[in-house]
Amino acid sequence: MSRYTVSPHRLLRAVLPLVALVALSACADKPPASNPEALRAYEERNDPLEPWNRSMHQIDQGLNTVIFNPTIAVYQAIIPEPGRKGVTNVFRNFRAPITFVNDILQGEGSRASTTLGRFVINSTVGLLGLFDVAARMGLPYHYEDFGQTFAVWGMGEGPYLYVPILGPSGGRDLTGYAIDNMGIDAMAWIGRADNPFWWQIAYFGALATDTKSNAKPLLDELKASSVDHYAALRSVYRQNRAKEIRNGAPAPVPDFEDYEYEDGDGDPFSGLEINPTEAQTAARTD
Amino acid sequence: MRALALTLLLVISGTQANAADEPWRTDPRAFINHFAEAGIEGILTAEIDDTEKTAQFRTLFNDGFDIPAISRFVIGRTWRRTSDADKEAFIALFEDVIVYTWSRRFSEYKGQTIEVRGTTPDGNTGTLVDSVIVDKAGQTISAQWRLRMRDDGLRIVDVIIEGVSMAITYRQDYASVIRQQGGMSGLLDLLGKQVVESAPS
Repeated sequence: MSRYTVSPHRLLRAVLPLVALVALSACADKPPASNPEALRAYEERNDPLEPWNRSMHQIDQGLNTVIFNPTIAVYQAIIPEPGRKGVTNVFRNFRAPITFVNDILQGEGSRASTTLGRFVINSTVGLLGLFDVAARMGLPYHYEDFGQTFAVWGMGEGPYLYVPILGPSGGRDLTGYAIDNMGIDAMAWIGRADNPFWWQIAYFGALATDTKSNAKPLLDELKASSVDHYAALRSVYRQNRAKEIRNGAPAPVPDFEDYEYEDGDGDPFSGLEINPTEAQTAARTD
Repeated sequence: MRALALTLLLVISGTQANAADEPWRTDPRAFINHFAEAGIEGILTAEIDDTEKTAQFRTLFNDGFDIPAISRFVIGRTWRRTSDADKEAFIALFEDVIVYTWSRRFSEYKGQTIEVRGTTPDGNTGTLVDSVIVDKAGQTISAQWRLRMRDDGLRIVDVIIEGVSMAITYRQDYASVIRQQGGMSGLLDLLGKQVVESAPS
């Protein structure tokens, strides 16, 4: 068998230093300490690689136009809504081990047993995950990943990173993503065995189509309602991650004089933690 | 006929806001229930055309939301340096942006209902109302409403869907534009273009 195979690990090892090099050369200029307002805004954005990230965002938009949007259109045309729901269910079930391992690593015993129960029920009664029978039996779906585990362990989010195809991420979440997909996901083990690399390509291609098809309406709406789509998406991503890390618990109520500026001269934002991840992780009570 | 009656009711409640006559205006739970009902029965399921729905939504939005306060929040520190004319221009454009954004989604309504789950004190005079949007299959989306007490009753200052705050998202979007354009005038230009493009024809 003389088949040319590329391990994703080797690929990553080859590409990462290059990415790091280019990214460093594309750093946003940090405002000087003599301009505290601009400095504060810079730190709130927490996006030191913004010029690089914006070009990655542009590339991603191009990929959507050329590859993913036509694919999604075909996918949605040939498979009706119930079928697509089934596809989403199958992927959720197949990838349940990722949630299970991370439930345990976060010390969430009862959520881990929910995930395990769902996996057993949906893999059997649910016909290999096609039907989410477990949800109707009172075991609702939830999702955990290693980025969230790192956050629960107290790790900060690191710099914001926009990755074509994957979309918004960050130092912490991208590392978590690599661990989930190369260390935990069953496909990583299938791929490592003597199976062709295109299995993984097909798998991630189908997964991306499913994920993007589900997210498209919301992303289109965000694009239409925002002026700077890149900045709005960064904001939504962070807020949504903060909520996932809290496992849906309500955000801590900020103690600030937010909207009480009747004269219109005050800064209604003073005191509010604009980058919610750290504050909300700390406020997690469960 | 029923739609007309509700329309009249909405117009009246919009122009004659009076906390004493309308006890729901000061009770957070009743306030959200009132607006959910007015939105669903008066707009989403009402037998009126899209132009009329958009107009109704604008009235409801003005009645239920504190648009000037949201505008100040969304612009943040730059507000202090903004001229009165630009402030007015922004508030008007921002109202259009929200009205057209929500109007685009009217047709997606498929019988969802809003269930208020609880309330928590928020800030000095505020309340955070926790609710879920429930669809016909029983799936839920979390929606929180940040309310502030004003002279004529409660007003919504933020809506938080699945942890994503409308006010914070607009704020970070616009902060980025203001920074790149070097001030408010650049933002106003872009918003003006956006409103023209997104206005229902």
